[in-house]
Amino acid sequence: MRYPLNVTVNGLRASADVEPHRSLLSVLREEIGLTGPKEGCDDSECGACMVLLDGEPVNACSYLALQTDGRAVTTVEGVAPADGLHPIQRELLAAGGVQCGFCTPGIVMSAKALLDRNPDCDEDDVRHALAGNLCRCTGYQKIIAAVLRAARQPEHGPADRP
Amino acid sequence: MTGTTSVLGQRFVRRDGPEKVTGEARYTADLAFTGLLHAKFVYAGRAHARIVAIDTTEAARMPGVHAVLTQADAPLVRYGMFVKDRTLFAHEVVRFEAEIVAAVAADTPERAAAAAAAVRVEYEDLPAVLDVDAALSPAAPVLHPDWLDYRTQDGVLRAPNDCGHMTSVKGDVDAGFAEAELQLTETYCSDMAHAVPIEPHAVVAQWQGEKVTIWTTSQVPFPARAGVAETLQIPQSNVRIVVPHLGGGFGGKCDFHFEAHVALLARATRRPVRLVFSRREEFLATDKVRHAARIELTTGVKRDGTITARRARLLLDSGAYCGDALFATEIGLMMVAGPYRVPNLYAEVHTVYTNRTPAGSVRAPGGPQTCWAVEQHTDELARLVGLDPLEFRRRNLVRAGDTGQTGQRFVSSSAQRCLDRAAELAGWPGTDLAEGEALGVAVGWWFSLSVPSGAYLKLNPDGTGTIITGAQENGSGSVMGLALLAAEELGMRPEAFSILYQDTDAGPFDIGSAGSQTTFNNGRAVMEAAREVREKLLALAAERLEIHQRDLELVDGSVRVKGAPTRSIPLAEIAAGAQLIGSGSGTPPPLPEHDLTGCGGRLGYSAFAAPSFFCHIARVRVDRETGVVSVPEVVAVHEFGRVLNPLGAQGQVEGGVIQSVGMALLEGSQYDGGHQLNPGLLGYKLVTAPDAPTVTVDFLDDAVDQGGPHGAKAVGEPPVVGTPAAIGNAIAAATGTRVRALPMNAERVWTALHRPSAGAVTAGGEA
Ligand code: FES
Ligand code: FES
Repeated sequence: MRYPLNVTVNGLRASADVEPHRSLLSVLREEIGLTGPKEGCDDSECGACMVLLDGEPVNACSYLALQTDGRAVTTVEGVAPADGLHPIQRELLAAGGVQCGFCTPGIVMSAKALLDRNPDCDEDDVRHALAGNLCRCTGYQKIIAAVLRAARQPEHGPADRP
Repeated sequence: MTGTTSVLGQRFVRRDGPEKVTGEARYTADLAFTGLLHAKFVYAGRAHARIVAIDTTEAARMPGVHAVLTQADAPLVRYGMFVKDRTLFAHEVVRFEAEIVAAVAADTPERAAAAAAAVRVEYEDLPAVLDVDAALSPAAPVLHPDWLDYRTQDGVLRAPNDCGHMTSVKGDVDAGFAEAELQLTETYCSDMAHAVPIEPHAVVAQWQGEKVTIWTTSQVPFPARAGVAETLQIPQSNVRIVVPHLGGGFGGKCDFHFEAHVALLARATRRPVRLVFSRREEFLATDKVRHAARIELTTGVKRDGTITARRARLLLDSGAYCGDALFATEIGLMMVAGPYRVPNLYAEVHTVYTNRTPAGSVRAPGGPQTCWAVEQHTDELARLVGLDPLEFRRRNLVRAGDTGQTGQRFVSSSAQRCLDRAAELAGWPGTDLAEGEALGVAVGWWFSLSVPSGAYLKLNPDGTGTIITGAQENGSGSVMGLALLAAEELGMRPEAFSILYQDTDAGPFDIGSAGSQTTFNNGRAVMEAAREVREKLLALAAERLEIHQRDLELVDGSVRVKGAPTRSIPLAEIAAGAQLIGSGSGTPPPLPEHDLTGCGGRLGYSAFAAPSFFCHIARVRVDRETGVVSVPEVVAVHEFGRVLNPLGAQGQVEGGVIQSVGMALLEGSQYDGGHQLNPGLLGYKLVTAPDAPTVTVDFLDDAVDQGGPHGAKAVGEPPVVGTPAAIGNAIAAATGTRVRALPMNAERVWTALHRPSAGAVTAGGEA
């Protein structure tokens, strides 16, 4: 049995008929065609699937797609302004905070949720905001530095709420 | 150097970075195919059993199922890098819990899983062998009764349940012990650990006619191609391996894995088929874990701290198959002396079959475990003779002119310099330590792998360039960094190069992202290709400018007359009218001279080419109530020769250190019988951002160029080798007791603190 899902994704309305057991992650990736969010564990452990749901970070792998009906989802694809990169993205590049890049979409989203809420964050805040994002490549040092630098910049990208 | 300013050693932004931060980068599981089917494997679920019967009829009849295959549907080919001991699907016997018995392709992942669950297999259980000691006892069941019939690489010495043993001998070990005034015997054990790339394995295969294209999460596309061709018995030219972006590997994606299984499913269904591993499968079925090890060390010393002799015995648990495990044993064997003067040595290492998940070359195979054991032992020796750990090391570390365990002569004193610099950065012996805190030190060495490689380079009509390489980017940035080397030769900007990589139909053969070898070997190949283009450019420009080639230089994307910068031609102008193509393979530098008299077995790393050295110092804090250890800081000093891409190299060190903090304190598989008890990221914890120590990194130069491009050495693996050892020594310093098992988790630290003899660290004594 499938049910209709209407959800705003990165500011655009999307709809799909989905089975109740489908995760938000699988619907984003397979039905809506956004492969930025990654599946690293399917169990709320790695954070590679992190998206914002009405501005709050959630693990899309562990969120039922139908629970997002009528709500707004932002994925990594919706973060950069049309003419460039979000400060978090720019600073991650400049700092060398990207290696294999598989964790990066989730890191960008957790960091964005933090900066949107608390642009005055310090190192501890950043570390804790990233507690649910595993990165096996970088050792986190350059990611933390990049997020702190992004926080010190005035613009934090386009509004992601409809 | 060609231009006025070198691009080497400068910060540069990797070419694949922007698509990775925006989410546009496509990884294997992101690719879309028309008519795609989904694969699911059927696993044994038991450690050791004979297959009595397999019944796939019910599974094959289920809705949406297109194929159910077993070994009966595949050529009966035994494969394996060192020992050909394995078939694609289980043949008559299963030897570990996640041995693949059958594979299903269906139109949805759910239907594939349901059909896999419906495959009926009847087993007759056999006695399981679950640890290395039991496996080597004469009474143990032989896990590969036909082992004598298996084909092997040259020089592999084997025995029942031992798929490769070697010995390393130097001097006269009995005489060395006779000379000793004190001696110490210790045993250290490490648990199985995992590579844990955040991207799980994924494979897509699609046939067109006789040819199969396989998109896969491989670190080694060419060996994967060879594996598919060998096991399906088709020519390598009919197999194209493409690796989209790779989400990390750390060795776990080396060797040939599941490509052939998926290709078989795709051939049987004539549809593209995709396999994506769950995290659980990643732990159980990815037959590429870090070896559990048992390391026995006996060392003789004089009262002044001089080491006179060592005996060492390493048992590495290879699991059910050999795979590429001999890398780990051969390297482990070369780590037992450490970077110390050990004039008399007898060491042996065994690669032992058990009914556990097969082991292989996880980042720095054989390194961290052996370095950890040797460096704990080194601190205990220092204690035995009453010397500070740094002073004891200074008295024994190799310097320029000394010889290593196989007689290799060292040309620099980098071990010593790394130690001094790390001590300075860490403030040894730790002046501002809080209650429960202490510092611990570890020193080690590593090699640069010297192997053939290849690349092409062409200039495009607009004056940009394209590098076409066989090299594989695992995320470290080593392939991205090739642009630096090309740019340096051609007076261009690294950003002016695009790179076509990890496609076996495009680039020349390369062993892949293994052995930290990309810059060292493919770097030389790219430079050679660039030089060919450079020669052509200069010849054409000389003609146009009517001047001798030697009076020209390549600067800022143009050819210009030396000393007359206004007389120049942009590269685009020359490239638009000419074919500027180069190819290179670079000549691998030879191994340093060495002497294997008395040694035995296949010694693939009989000397270390362009050896690099490091010293790590960790500060730890131990909570005596709970046994929980935290690590506020690690200092990591490495001598990597010339560092070409400092940002990239720092990233390798920081990432490696944090990975190995996990190995030190958290990461280990627990077993119950033949089953992993913690095959998930909740039970098998990695270091997270809040727990990650601050890493202070410093690089030292090597005065001697040892054959890498511009004097560079291997960078990727050494950073994981030393940290567990430094943390272990710090724990012992903080608690007065030593934890002899890795990981040194809270339970083990607590137990060590509360055992009756806590405080009496060492059972050493008069020789
Ligand atoms: S895939 Fe969602 S947390 Fe790992
Ligand atoms: S960059 Fe590879 S996991 Fe974070």
